[in-house]
Amino acid sequence: MTLEINHLKKRFDEHQAVDDISLSVNKGDMFGMLGANGAGKTTTFRMIFGLIDPTAGSVTWDKDRLSYKRTHLVGYLPEERGLFPKLTVKEQLIYLMRLNNMKKPDILREMRHWLDRFQVPEYENKKIEELSKGNQQKIQFMAAVIHKPELLILDEPFSGLDPVNSDMLKEAVLDIQKQGTTIVFSSHQMRNVEELCEDLIMLKRGKAVLQGNLKTIKRSYGMKSISIRADYDLDFLHSVPGVLSLDKRKDGAIVKVESEDIAESIFHHIAKKGFVRKFEVEEPSLHDIFIDKAGEDAHE
Amino acid sequence: MNNFWTTFTHTASRRLKSKAFIFATGIMALLIIGILNLNNILGNFESEETEDTPNIAVVDETENGGQFGAMLESMEDGSYNYVHFPDGSVDDAIEEASGEDYEYALALFGHPSDLQAEFYGEGSDFRVGQEVNQDVQRAKETLVTSELDLNEEELAMIFNPVTFSELPLSEQGEVQTQESHMQAYWMVYGLVFAIYLIVITFGSMIATEVATEKSSRVMELIVSSVNPVTQMLGKLMGIGLAGMVNLTILAGAVWLGSYMSGEEFLQMIFTEVIDYSLIIYALVFIILGYFVYGGIAAMLGALVSRAEEVNQAIQPLIFLAMIAFFISMYGLNAPDTMFIQALSYIPFFTPQLLFLRIGMGTVPISEVTLIIAILVISAILINVLAARIYKGGVLMYGKFSFKNGIKQALKISKKEN
Repeated sequence: MTLEINHLKKRFDEHQAVDDISLSVNKGDMFGMLGANGAGKTTTFRMIFGLIDPTAGSVTWDKDRLSYKRTHLVGYLPEERGLFPKLTVKEQLIYLMRLNNMKKPDILREMRHWLDRFQVPEYENKKIEELSKGNQQKIQFMAAVIHKPELLILDEPFSGLDPVNSDMLKEAVLDIQKQGTTIVFSSHQMRNVEELCEDLIMLKRGKAVLQGNLKTIKRSYGMKSISIRADYDLDFLHSVPGVLSLDKRKDGAIVKVESEDIAESIFHHIAKKGFVRKFEVEEPSLHDIFIDKAGEDAHE
Repeated sequence: MNNFWTTFTHTASRRLKSKAFIFATGIMALLIIGILNLNNILGNFESEETEDTPNIAVVDETENGGQFGAMLESMEDGSYNYVHFPDGSVDDAIEEASGEDYEYALALFGHPSDLQAEFYGEGSDFRVGQEVNQDVQRAKETLVTSELDLNEEELAMIFNPVTFSELPLSEQGEVQTQESHMQAYWMVYGLVFAIYLIVITFGSMIATEVATEKSSRVMELIVSSVNPVTQMLGKLMGIGLAGMVNLTILAGAVWLGSYMSGEEFLQMIFTEVIDYSLIIYALVFIILGYFVYGGIAAMLGALVSRAEEVNQAIQPLIFLAMIAFFISMYGLNAPDTMFIQALSYIPFFTPQLLFLRIGMGTVPISEVTLIIAILVISAILINVLAARIYKGGVLMYGKFSFKNGIKQALKISKKEN
């Protein structure tokens, strides 16, 4: 059971929303989809379960299109959260899960299991509009996983959650993955992606600007980040060729450079100046890579 | 199919269980029963205030010497109590009528063959004059015939009504008698009004329901597991069922109300005025009309992002229903005109106008079949198109605009490969 996306394209008139994306996610993997707002993540998700038709290319799950006959195999947490505000948690989940071919007793059993797990069993008969945003999100998450989908799509699952709830949800996601569910998720929070994903794709204006295994990407990514602590002013490093940015801190700076060679030349420059308390060449964080690759869009 | 039933039962049960629905239906039903029994209810109040029939002071100054006055006084079955003042003058009678005992005064002059009557009175009831006129006329007929010395047979010869029957020219033809005209008139009127009400209430109900699901953003979740087309039809049918329940209860209220009122007029409506063969047509047209207008309402609901914009969005639909309503009102008096015939082919007007033509005249069965076929096909086409726009529309958020909205929705739902 693999999610295969082949040369997927979607065009709305003049606007190329998704431009030639190919990827494959194996069963039980957790796949990250990164990109600034408007990069094409949600459109890609919508094409995965056939909500909109691609202009070209194909999406298959287990070698077949995800038509409406098979949508119960997919769980979806949309970026724009939404539940029926006037229905209780129970009514809500019964209706939504029935649409996924679940029987009522199974729904109730699973619902209570999850409410217990999220430590909110008293919400069963509460209306959604009475719950806080964070708690609504827990219910929203339940609506994506109660029917035990084979493929789970989480669009920005951690946005708007406090650290405690964020960790609780992260644990839940990892548990679901352990049970063999394939998970595709998008996030702006790079820390979460670094923690959870093995493979990822980074989109910019519908195109894949970066794709592959997270560790490999980081190791082979030219850009390095150097953390320096020294007692003198480091501004002169601006003039060194190959320096991308200089981020001054209290007692030093973080310097981004094009490659490891540049790091070496910087080391020589500094050594001439005086004593260096700390000089560490780090692999770039996903955050740095994101800014580097998709940054322009993010500032639009 | 499974998801269709889930959506259908969910929609219908949410509607039927909602307090708004229960109260609205209950109050409407009570109102109907109340209005139908208005006469009894008002009667209860009135009977306490004026128990007696009004008294009328009669002064007879005809050449017959008081015979009219005596005759009017002897009439007991009328709605008025005539009291003869044999020696009084007109002024006396008017004075009496201004007092407490008498409400009106009546003065009669002239020869019986050329009788003149003056009726003095005050008040808002215009029928009094007519009724008194009839009473005087009756008194005059009785007196004159007895003066002419006519016997029973001769009297019968004068007063026996003519046997008048209306027959069609050809065997298949139909003649519009007053009875069948009134029958069709009220049936058509009722149906036209019912369709208008259904479009306005259920049209906005459908659109609001769709827009609410959109604005709460639960729509995206729903359409990720149900085909929007299935969902739209489930919703249409679910609200339609709730509407049927509502209509049935109201029809029951009408029946119960008129049964309780015991008024012959209302019971006559059930036994004589309602043509039950027309009822079948009415049901067919209501259902088809519901799908034509409901499909569009669902589509319009899908084009807006917030429930507040629904009223603006369904405006054109309401105008359409209003135009159909006014054309039908005109058509009631001219069912055979070319204008009405031509318009009855347009799906938005077919339910009202074809029913009007069937009810008020004769439409060849072939033509009825043709027009209904057009209506069914357009109902299907409208719903297919509405479903396409719905499918794209439910994923679309932003400012509402018809032209761009429809264009954009079709773009999103575009079928490709």
